[in-house]
Amino acid sequence: MSTNNALTIDGLTVNFDGFKAVDGFSTVIEDGELRVVLGPNGAGKTTMMDLISGKTKASAGSVRLYGRDITSRAEHKIARAGIGRKFQIPSIFRDLTVRENFEVAVTRTPGVLSNLRMGLRASERKQVQHIVDLTQLGDVLEKRAGDLSHGQMQWLELGMLIGQESRVILLDEPTAGMTQAETLKTSRIINALKGSHTLLVVEHDMAFVREIAEKITVMHLGKMLAEGKIEQIEKDPAVQDAYLGSGGIH
Amino acid sequence: MADILFIGLSLSSILLLIALGLSITYGAMGVINMAHGELVMIGAYTAVLAGIYLNLNLFLSLPLAFATSAALGLLIERLVIRRLYGRIIDTLLATWGVAILLQQAIRLEFGLSFFDIHIQGLGTGLQNISVPAFLTQPFDFAGMTIQPYRSFIILVTLLLTLLTWFLFYRTRIGMQVRAIMRNPQIAAACGIDVRRVSALTFAYGSGLAGVAGVLLAGFKTVQPDMGTSVVVDGFLVVVVGGVGSLIGTIFASLLLGQINGIIAVLSNDILARAVVFGVVIVLIMWRPKGLFSFRGR
Amino acid sequence: MQSGRFDSVGVDVVAYGAFILAILLLPLFLDDPFWLNRIAKYLVYGMLGVAIALSWGYAGILNLGQGLFFGMGAYMVAMSLKLQSSTSLQQGSDSPVPDFMLWNAQPGAPTELCCISPSSFLWLPFQAQWFGAVMALVVPVVIALALSSAIFRLRVSGVYVAIITLASVLLVRLLIVDAQPLTNGFNGLTDLGWLTVAGFEFDPYLTQTYYIVAVSLSLVLVLTRVLVGTRAGLILQSTRDDPNRARYLGFDVAAYQIFFFTVSAGIAGFAGMLYVIAAEFASPSFMDLAFSITMVVWAAVGGRSSLLGACIGAILINTIEATASESEMFQEAWRAIIGLIFILVVLFLPRGLAGVGQDLTARLIGMARRPSAAPDRQASRDAAE
Repeated sequence: MSTNNALTIDGLTVNFDGFKAVDGFSTVIEDGELRVVLGPNGAGKTTMMDLISGKTKASAGSVRLYGRDITSRAEHKIARAGIGRKFQIPSIFRDLTVRENFEVAVTRTPGVLSNLRMGLRASERKQVQHIVDLTQLGDVLEKRAGDLSHGQMQWLELGMLIGQESRVILLDEPTAGMTQAETLKTSRIINALKGSHTLLVVEHDMAFVREIAEKITVMHLGKMLAEGKIEQIEKDPAVQDAYLGSGGIH
Repeated sequence: MADILFIGLSLSSILLLIALGLSITYGAMGVINMAHGELVMIGAYTAVLAGIYLNLNLFLSLPLAFATSAALGLLIERLVIRRLYGRIIDTLLATWGVAILLQQAIRLEFGLSFFDIHIQGLGTGLQNISVPAFLTQPFDFAGMTIQPYRSFIILVTLLLTLLTWFLFYRTRIGMQVRAIMRNPQIAAACGIDVRRVSALTFAYGSGLAGVAGVLLAGFKTVQPDMGTSVVVDGFLVVVVGGVGSLIGTIFASLLLGQINGIIAVLSNDILARAVVFGVVIVLIMWRPKGLFSFRGR
Repeated sequence: MQSGRFDSVGVDVVAYGAFILAILLLPLFLDDPFWLNRIAKYLVYGMLGVAIALSWGYAGILNLGQGLFFGMGAYMVAMSLKLQSSTSLQQGSDSPVPDFMLWNAQPGAPTELCCISPSSFLWLPFQAQWFGAVMALVVPVVIALALSSAIFRLRVSGVYVAIITLASVLLVRLLIVDAQPLTNGFNGLTDLGWLTVAGFEFDPYLTQTYYIVAVSLSLVLVLTRVLVGTRAGLILQSTRDDPNRARYLGFDVAAYQIFFFTVSAGIAGFAGMLYVIAAEFASPSFMDLAFSITMVVWAAVGGRSSLLGACIGAILINTIEATASESEMFQEAWRAIIGLIFILVVLFLPRGLAGVGQDLTARLIGMARRPSAAPDRQASRDAAE
């Protein structure tokens, strides 16, 4: 088992009262890779992410993070081990200001007692500035996060993930609900993350996928259907079958 | 042994009587109505006033109390609860505020006491209603001494439960309520007038509270704060039983009533209630959504 | 729409400072020891408001049974003070025995604290006054730790937490009432001695006793305000806003909830101790459900997310009720008015009167600034960093 691989997923299965949302899913994601996961609705993409991040307990199989077994650990422990997650509906702290959201995200010491201190460390302050610059949210730092526009909320969440310094970032439809201009900005941010972070992206917007993708995994009925570059995937007959009626992926 | 079971059954029926109305509003609308106890109290006072001014006996007070409490329930739903759908903690708090208002209204005789106008039967005093003589004499049956009034309560509770079950599962409006319980948006999309049905449901649950009040008035003193202790017991039953489950409410009242009865006989009333609370705490920690919950709202 | 929350440390320093100054200087303006003692009790209620605001406003945990911790703190100190009272020392033995134990004793039982009834030995360590005071903090904290660990490790949330706290206070109240030989049941502990420190006796109607309460409240206010201003306080608020997001950022949400729930309980226990010192009795009525919910009403009206707001709300509501005590009718009418205000606050004003105050202050300060400043920027946060 190579510890250079960011995520090694082996036979991951979850059984909801007989229904296997994810059924023996296996793949290896290398360090620094950007992997896109495609699949029709109900293929198990979000459930697969739930399993990795600990929201759902696996019935079988394993997930290893740089060789370390994190299968079915508690969410906050998996997060601390180095996995960050971005949700389809932006999951941010709405009653806190944008700045406070970032401050929470860059906190490296999770325990209650260790956080009985005021202010930020110098390293944390630099981190906050870095993500403010990256997300260009400097104008709205004191605004209540719940009052931001939808696109701004998405970038806030992305910024928090970057601030979290996760080695692996799970992105669930990061451009959902965005305009074309916003999508472009998002793809720029994601491309900036390539290399220093490992990214696993679930997406539907094919134009966006073409913008960012290297290797693609297609899921269907909880299993891995096909894997490879976008040209290979498009021509794969099994994939075309799965996307029945849509004439393949557009 | 049968005595103990009967006591438990009697306690259970009183619990169920209170909880029935609460269960409907909690299940159908996700509303925890802390003013439910006051609706019980108002039902009791309706019986008292009806006895004084209209010379109505216990039986005739029942429908009157139902109507009064139902009307009040409609008012509360319209003014307060309608604005708080989905905000379950806020409805708990706001209805507690309504409970305070209702209690004070009775104490202050609707404010008329400021003008030295006193309505006999209201105020801070204690009241009683007279129970028809044939219900007060204990009689013998199958070797046990039966308390007729308690049996009467069990009977009425049974009838009301059957009526509620019938309305829920055998009528069109009951089906609409169940549809709203599962998915209010789809129900609305199917043409169900969610607002009207919700309001009527709340009114029905409130009416049941009024009936409970009349029956309680037969053996408890009627005072402005009689509702508070009653509402807590009621809604613990509902929470333990499960959101939106009539069976759950029935089962929970039987369970908690019997536990109360048995421990009361073994040691004392106070400890019995304490044990019931302990059991409730453990059950809610184990299964917060209740013993018989289903995936509804 | 108002953008940005108004949360300047500078404004807080002024507001807290003014309040503390006011309560410390009060005895200079108020001569009547009877009223001073009354205000002392309301200051204790203010402390309860702080406890509720910490748990509800900052942690998002609605505790409908805060009276449990208040009551336990009260009983612990009351036990020590009971043993000090003159009535306990006249029972025909060298060491004190509470009068009610003698009334409840079996004939022929030895009139000694250790053995007059099966459980009376539990009172023995309370012969030392400091023991009662320490227990007044320790016991609520231990109970809170146990209860909250169970609740939050099991991921019970929202309204079910509130219901469990409600059932808990009722449970303990019943247990206390039932344990008549140990606690004097319904009647509670009365006829208490006075708190004695270094030979000085704190008669509840002395100014010095008022100062014990006022200084304690000031300390609690300041320390709690500092606590919520730490990184941990901010993270706590994030767990209130979105506990899942907090978990995915690596925080053990349950640990934060347990910690702050317990701190809140400790404050309530401390308040219980102070109340007994001022009021000279402890009773199961401290654990009435209505009282616990009334605390929530004070905090809601004053402002659940503002420690000072909840504190002032509690003090004001009770002071007005006291001044309206000319006739019982007005008192009842005042309760009805509070009920109405509570409903309105829940429906329309979730930040309570403190929220209204904050909005007004923000507007005033905004007007005082030159309009060229970006409207999003509120008062500087540099002081905190």
